[in-house]
Amino acid sequence: MTTQSTDAPRATSDAILTIQGLNKQYGKFTAVRHIDLDVPPGQVFGILGPNGAGKTTTLRMITGLIEPTAGEITIDGHAMSKDPLGAKAITGFIPDRPYVYDKLTAFEYLQFIAGLYSMKRKDAGVRMKELLSLFHLAEWGDSLIESFSHGMKQRLVFAGALLPRPKLLVVDEPMVGLDPKGHRLIKGLFTSLTKEEGMTILLSTHTLEVAEEVCDQIAIVNHGKIIARGTLNELRMTSGEDQGSLEQVFLRLTEEREEERAARVAERFGNSDVPLAHQDEDQGA
Amino acid sequence: MFLELIGAKLRIVRGNFLSNKEGRHRGPLFIALSVIFSVMLFRGTLWLVNQSLAIQPVGELLVQKLISIAFLIFLGLLTFSNIVTAFTTFYLADDMDFLMAQPIPSDSLFSSRYIEALTQSSWVIVLFGMPAFTALGVGLDAPWQYYGMMLVVFLPFVAIPTGIASIIALVVSNMLVATRMRDAMMFMGMAAFVILFTLIRFMQPERLLNPDTFDSVGEMINLLSTPKNSFLPSDWSVNALTPLLFQERAFDWWSFGLLYTTPLALYFISAWLHRRYFNRGYSRVQEGRVGESVLTTLRDWMLRRSTRRGGGATAKIDALIQDTEGSFSSFSELIMKDRRIFMRDASQWSNILVIVALMTIYLVNYKYFEIASETDFFNGVGLYYFNLAACGFVVVALSGRFLFPAVSIEGRSFWLMMQAPISLERMLIGKWLGAMPPVIFVGQLMIWASNILVTYSVFHSITAAILILCISICVAGIAVGLGAVYPQFYNPNASAIAASFGAIIFMILSIILMLFSLVCCFWFITHMGKYLEGSAEFPTLWTDYFGLFLSVFMPACVAWLSIKAGAGSLRGRM
Repeated sequence: MTTQSTDAPRATSDAILTIQGLNKQYGKFTAVRHIDLDVPPGQVFGILGPNGAGKTTTLRMITGLIEPTAGEITIDGHAMSKDPLGAKAITGFIPDRPYVYDKLTAFEYLQFIAGLYSMKRKDAGVRMKELLSLFHLAEWGDSLIESFSHGMKQRLVFAGALLPRPKLLVVDEPMVGLDPKGHRLIKGLFTSLTKEEGMTILLSTHTLEVAEEVCDQIAIVNHGKIIARGTLNELRMTSGEDQGSLEQVFLRLTEEREEERAARVAERFGNSDVPLAHQDEDQGA
Repeated sequence: MFLELIGAKLRIVRGNFLSNKEGRHRGPLFIALSVIFSVMLFRGTLWLVNQSLAIQPVGELLVQKLISIAFLIFLGLLTFSNIVTAFTTFYLADDMDFLMAQPIPSDSLFSSRYIEALTQSSWVIVLFGMPAFTALGVGLDAPWQYYGMMLVVFLPFVAIPTGIASIIALVVSNMLVATRMRDAMMFMGMAAFVILFTLIRFMQPERLLNPDTFDSVGEMINLLSTPKNSFLPSDWSVNALTPLLFQERAFDWWSFGLLYTTPLALYFISAWLHRRYFNRGYSRVQEGRVGESVLTTLRDWMLRRSTRRGGGATAKIDALIQDTEGSFSSFSELIMKDRRIFMRDASQWSNILVIVALMTIYLVNYKYFEIASETDFFNGVGLYYFNLAACGFVVVALSGRFLFPAVSIEGRSFWLMMQAPISLERMLIGKWLGAMPPVIFVGQLMIWASNILVTYSVFHSITAAILILCISICVAGIAVGLGAVYPQFYNPNASAIAASFGAIIFMILSIILMLFSLVCCFWFITHMGKYLEGSAEFPTLWTDYFGLFLSVFMPACVAWLSIKAGAGSLRGRM
């Protein structure tokens, strides 16, 4: 099912993140097509979508890891195309897999991040103390990261991203590898960061329960474009699932007919005869 | 199944060539540089052959000896490279986990990995050995059959070290876990290299350049006579190739037979051993470190020391809080980070041996070449430039090994750099500045050591030191820049990255530039040297100064362009 497109941005003049006409093409394949989006400050803004919808590509363009083919991303007045360093200086990023330098200690890792952001030594020290304690890593400060579990690495990446006090925190699949205690920590953290520190969090996740719980607004992305956005209640109205959970709303909004799917596959691979099972694998990559 | 596995690898190679991500100009650039380098190699070898033939009555014997030395050097390089490659290909490759979990017959997996290791470790030798051996044929006016035989001999010759290396890797994997295995393999590679170096020294190649050092023609002929019963594959290759080269009637079937039966035997022995012991070895390599040993304890102690230098994390954080004025510098943190990672990576420690070996080989050989400096081959000036070129070559080799992989070993952590508010140019310059001092130090140590050994004039010594300083700085920049143009973020092995396609491009480009630089400053140094000796007027020719300017300007330009290209390429990958 394809619902009415809600590409038009909600005009909020004080938006911390503004995206206009964002497009990303890989050869002939369009991964992200003409996304317009305004994210107001101090909110947790969720981006949901099926595999291969273009979520991660969008987030990576926002953080400057990928260059868009067209369009403009502005973070708190800094256009990514004209002032990428200014935009990056106020943005933190937490990727889905916590690849960090294994041969550094937790302290050295944070010190390195402080260096990249040219932080004041005093500010960095205070913040390090706070974050190591918050993420239960204080006693591991001198240990090499290679000895950390996946969850500990993920928490360290969180600490690193929060160290320079970003105005915008972009988080891709934050719950991967975290235990239930970690889940609770992160959910509580998102709430406190937005409510108490006024940070804006752009969150992409497949854990719909988390999105339902913490997101103030949600945009659903499919086939590289935003097909619906709003609060959970607004999405329920759009999908027709008036009493449904976010999962039901999501499935309704993203379901598609076989012909639509075949047309999409033909666009991407130039061959609609590709077995569907294989297409799924490819798009998930 | 074997064909499917090999086919998949070939498709990956083709994909890399076609991929925009991997750099569209990589293929054409590599071909262009290879052609230039091959032509230089061909011309150089031809010159050497003609010069040798002119020394009568032993010219042909001398050429035979040079062929022996060339094959011996190739054997050393192949052994070294095969040992490193076998370790990666059979045990640590990214796809091994996946392949081991599939119902693939063990013989098929072994054979496909064997072919991969063979190809990876020998293609460079074959590619650059061909122009040199073709020049031999041209110089000696060999019949057409010689060129066919050249290929027939090279194939089994390169396969022998692969067989030996695969067996060594199997034995080591059954004895050691991964953390120690990498060190052990490196040590063994180095040991093989040192043994071959000793063998080359035993041949006393420098005496071949100066026949006057022999007491009699008999002694000289005795030294030069071709080995007939050697156990070394390099000698079998010489014996199989030279009858055609010198158009002798008697073909050495014995050596030819050994050359073909040995790699086949090694392959089957290795396959049989892999059937029995590979799974055990592979499993052990996956295990963490177990048990304690002196080495492990020492390593842990050093790591603990390095992570707690200047106090624990709490003390360091408190010190930061007390510092109300200072800020962190991205440059110094980048440099510190790279140094810490380098010093704590045990696989890099054994590479220090590479530096020591390179320096020893350089200085020992230099001392020997001094003996030949009074011949027509090498006069004083020739030796001076030979020294500069050799020293420059060591600087290039060091930069290739340690600086070229600098961007690649960021690996999957590279996202941190990309999302940080720091430009890619700044990041690369940080890497350049951080890695440059050790290269400069080694370059200066070698050039001053050799200057003192031969007691050059102050002018010549200082000029040589300045030239090597410029070359070190520029080559370091080219290594970092081209390392960013051809990164291998998913290759965990720095040694393998240093032997990759991009690294070969770096080596060729740097060697050409280094030689260009030396040629450009030749006239200035010669004329100024003569002036200072009082045998000529002060040099006033503009060409002298223009050459001097070019010799510094061109490498500096290429270094800067490499850094720019590296940043551009990384940006293009985004």
